[in-house]
Amino acid sequence: MNDKTNKEVTIQTPHFGKLTVNEEMIFLFDNGMLGFEDLTNFVVVSEDESAPFKWLISIEKPEIGFPMLSPWLIDLNYSPGNHYDIEKQVFFVVVTLENENGKMTANMKAPVILDTENLKGEQIILPFDKYSTNYVIEEK
Amino acid sequence: MLVLSRKVGEVITIGSSVTVTVLSVDRGIVRLGINAPKSIPVHRKEIHDKIVETNRQAVKTEISALKKAISKSRILLNNDKSSNVQGKLLNFPEKITDNQQE
Repeated sequence: MNDKTNKEVTIQTPHFGKLTVNEEMIFLFDNGMLGFEDLTNFVVVSEDESAPFKWLISIEKPEIGFPMLSPWLIDLNYSPGNHYDIEKQVFFVVVTLENENGKMTANMKAPVILDTENLKGEQIILPFDKYSTNYVIEEK
Repeated sequence: MLVLSRKVGEVITIGSSVTVTVLSVDRGIVRLGINAPKSIPVHRKEIHDKIVETNRQAVKTEISALKKAISKSRILLNNDKSSNVQGKLLNFPEKITDNQQE
């Protein structure tokens, strides 16, 4: 990681325009995201206006961005199991909103885990049936 | 496709790190025990496929729609209580933008 220190990359995103990203903010996903296995470098982008949502944006294809939330914002009892250390690994769940009047859902079954110490990321599939891939987090 | 016949209790090896054991066969349901290193995720295919589809839908989400949903308060979140489940979030390496098209 040392050779990356203080390097920056500039990406053009449809959501946030041009972004200059310090490489210390780039997470390496060895296996990509499920269905997007060829994308391995991501940055988490947030802005006040859309808080508490964050976006996981691909460095290689900046038009690809996953909206995410902390799973504990949705379910205070969320528990990914003993294999994970929530003190060291940061968890997010991927959110889908088809349109502004559509249902918003979160994929509680397949959280994204980011390790802030080694800047590695992965999307895992939890082995519990209690977590849905399409958990509805708002209704109307 | 390689096709093998196995009896209950017999094992298939895949490479040197993965084994698949036939645990039981009952009324058309085969129970398999799989040992694989953590680097090789093992899942039911239909769940894997569903998550791929969910991810493909997620990337179509428009930030404008998300902001409107936020402003209409249509989202039910534990904003206060959950804020410190992960203290790491306070020092999280992320790009914070004001959307001013740098």
